Amino acid sequence: MTPGPGMVGGAAAARPRRLMRTAGLSVIWLVLLLFIVYPLLILLSRAFFDGGHLTFDALFATLKSPSSLRALGNSLLLALMVGVVGTLVGLLFAFTVDRARLGSRTARLIDALTFLPLISPPFTTSIAFVFSFGPRGLITHDLLGLKNAQMYGLTSTFAAETLTYFPIAYLALRPMLASISSNFEEASFSLGGSRWHAFRTVTLPLIIPALANAFLLLFGCSLADFATPLILAGSDFSVLPTEAYLQITGMFDLKSGAILSLLLLVPAGLVFYAQERFVAGRSYVTVTGKAATATERNSVSSSARIALLTFCILTVALILYFYALLFYASVVLAFGANYTLTLEHYRVIFTEGLPAIKDTLFVAAVGMPLGGLYGILVGYLVGRTKFVGRRAMELISMLNYALPGTIVGIAYLLAFNDKPLALTGTATILIACYIFRYSPTGIRTTIALLQQIDKILEEDSASLRANSFVTFRRVMLPLILPAFFAGLGVVFIRSMTAISATIFLVSINWSLITVKILENMTEVALGPAAAFSVFVIVVVLVVTGLLNTVLRRMTAPSLRVSRIGT
Amino acid sequence: MISMAASSLEITLVGVSTVFHHRRRGDITAVKNLDLHIHPGEFLTLLGASGCGKTTTLRMIAGFQPPSSGQIRFGGEDVTHLAANQRDIGFVFQNYALFPHLSVFENVAYGLRVKRRSTSDIESSVAQGLRQVGLQGLGDRMISELSGGQQQRVALARAIAIKPRVLLFDEPLSNLDAQLRVQMRGEIARLQKELAITTVYVTHDQEEAMAISDRIAIMNEGQIVQIGKAEELYQRPVSPFVAGFLGNTNMIRGRVVAMQADRATLDIAGYRWTLVTTAPVKIGDMCDAVVRPEALVLTRDGDGLKGVVESRVYLGAKAEYLVRVGDQVFQVVQWNPVAGELFKAGQGVCVTLPAAGVQLLGAHISSDRSLD
Repeated sequence: MTPGPGMVGGAAAARPRRLMRTAGLSVIWLVLLLFIVYPLLILLSRAFFDGGHLTFDALFATLKSPSSLRALGNSLLLALMVGVVGTLVGLLFAFTVDRARLGSRTARLIDALTFLPLISPPFTTSIAFVFSFGPRGLITHDLLGLKNAQMYGLTSTFAAETLTYFPIAYLALRPMLASISSNFEEASFSLGGSRWHAFRTVTLPLIIPALANAFLLLFGCSLADFATPLILAGSDFSVLPTEAYLQITGMFDLKSGAILSLLLLVPAGLVFYAQERFVAGRSYVTVTGKAATATERNSVSSSARIALLTFCILTVALILYFYALLFYASVVLAFGANYTLTLEHYRVIFTEGLPAIKDTLFVAAVGMPLGGLYGILVGYLVGRTKFVGRRAMELISMLNYALPGTIVGIAYLLAFNDKPLALTGTATILIACYIFRYSPTGIRTTIALLQQIDKILEEDSASLRANSFVTFRRVMLPLILPAFFAGLGVVFIRSMTAISATIFLVSINWSLITVKILENMTEVALGPAAAFSVFVIVVVLVVTGLLNTVLRRMTAPSLRVSRIGT
Repeated sequence: MISMAASSLEITLVGVSTVFHHRRRGDITAVKNLDLHIHPGEFLTLLGASGCGKTTTLRMIAGFQPPSSGQIRFGGEDVTHLAANQRDIGFVFQNYALFPHLSVFENVAYGLRVKRRSTSDIESSVAQGLRQVGLQGLGDRMISELSGGQQQRVALARAIAIKPRVLLFDEPLSNLDAQLRVQMRGEIARLQKELAITTVYVTHDQEEAMAISDRIAIMNEGQIVQIGKAEELYQRPVSPFVAGFLGNTNMIRGRVVAMQADRATLDIAGYRWTLVTTAPVKIGDMCDAVVRPEALVLTRDGDGLKGVVESRVYLGAKAEYLVRVGDQVFQVVQWNPVAGELFKAGQGVCVTLPAAGVQLLGAHISSDRSLD
């Protein structure tokens, strides 16, 4: 037990608290084993055990099948392309916002608009792509007059994923660029280097670890992405998550589906290894949270500045165009055929679609507080206390977050289909899936905040330790609240928008908006799909806005965490 | 081996101003209509408190920042609108700004590679640069493996390796401990004389400025208030600000009651003080006499101002006193105090004023007395 503030009490107070801690630990371990370890073990046993014997026949069969291999190859190719191009776009955005002498208003606008794809349902970009480039698309059909434009395949999947995920690279790279002192560039200038030379030989090498990190993040996102390829990849370009989904829902072949999803583990594991091995702790720059210097940078010439700005504005305009298109499609009778304004689609989603809306909001509303609580509880136990298996708890708690959603979804499907834990078809399984998949953000934030709090309290430890209970209530609790709210926000956003895992878990009794959108898309009911998407975006914006407001009111400026949802 | 090279360059600033736009505070004039002439091969220091415009001036000379108005010339060449990488300068930053992803060798070679020198040329130039700063053999180290002092030397070697026309230093020693600071400033001064490169050095440390410079320009509120050799500034400050900024000082106030040839007589609370001066004062003027603490002599009694010791700090080599005389308090430094008499707080003493080497400041600035 650490003698940290908040943990030290009188001998009388210590016993019940220790009891409470032991009870808390047991409960956490129980749910971790039940909802993370057990399903994964079931998945593995289903894939590699046949009649009680360990066998890799099914794996080899899958590896021999050309369609599986093609899906694996396609997944890797797509992830590689999205990783490279998305990182590049993110770098251009980060460089433009940080170095191209933008006004603070322009920078904030770009921030806000790049934030949009991060909080949207995964189909949003894909749907807008169909509206824009599909057979009846605004650009392909109406503007270019193409008949039967072929848009499904690698190119559009890649473009949509890049547009969806590049903001992650932007968010990862911008603070890195901002924390590089302008003196490095000036040193290069003083030694005769041009701006381009300074960028090439100084700035770029300094952010290579950050670039690698951004690439790996995007690679992982694309690899695990289920929604975009499902809508845009078409039948000729299959990837692992969609292939696994089709095996299970189309062929009812759970074993093949399980093995296909496990194939995803190989590149995902490699990415994780690469991140730990080559990127973590390799940084030349440390992000302190404030800009490195007050002097104005002179990193780009005015023509380069215009080029960069143009690129960013065009990209942002494209994002805006897609969202406008989505909104437009939700208020016209039949996009591509009849552009009469109507609220019919909203009537549909609030009548026929109402069960899905109610279910989704229920799952999100129940999952949110539970997830937030679970996040700070695990974060507190891992970050603050010592017990056997602490490191194991930290790793296990991150597992469902790190694994592609398809794996988690199939694992849950297999694990909770039969007695003793027949949860399939209940809301519990959906809520559990979201909590254990999306609370790690809250856990991480809690651990990070606790470290910061330690520093603050160390400075004043003597006076504060004098009355540790008051310290905990008056100091710790308010300080830890941001982590709680961050956890709430992420669980809520993902409950509203995620699909890759829960697509396997919905039932007649419990459905989700994202699944309804998918159904609408396959039935070519584009209007309701667009209306659902708009509804989700609005709800997410409102709720995160509220959470952020509460958070701002409640936290000390020095402990502000990044915005909810990022 | 002083080689007063023909390449030594003079630097001229004519009417240079910089205005920053601040989001909340509006326009801020960092440098106001500044004229400055730096001689070829000279070591000139810009000295001032933070925010006085010294670093801005240096950055304009470097080309990191364009002036809002005015002209900057290197020799006969107008460089006002020339980019930094065209100016042929060596710049040593406060935080060194060494490239952390490059070795010591590659840091020093950076500018030479930009200039596309041959490999053998680069190797010999880097070796020479490292030798000049006493870092021979450390070329393979990474920057993070070096101590602060060694990093400072690499920064210096990197700046001189390209044989710049001008050397610029922005508070290069402020991250070092006191002992190393003294050692490094000696080396910088030696190297500068050896290379005879016109040098501008920015610091807020008056002792550093006095130890290292040919001339010092004292800056305040974006302007140069006085420029000259250290002894000129110390002995003949033109204003109470300069007098107070460079060393401790007493401003002794009195009225001129008699003038005769190169002498003036001041009335200080009834006491008549005759001193040698060339200051353009006339009878009836109120004056402030700049008298350094070490120029005042304390005696038990005798001819002088009568005062009372308010406090004494004994420091071995010297003793520092505060002595009250009427409504003024004088600082007095007594060197080698064991040779004389140590006075106690509360003791009545006689303060003897020097008869020469005193700077008189005219009546128009005499309102500012709160200096020490």
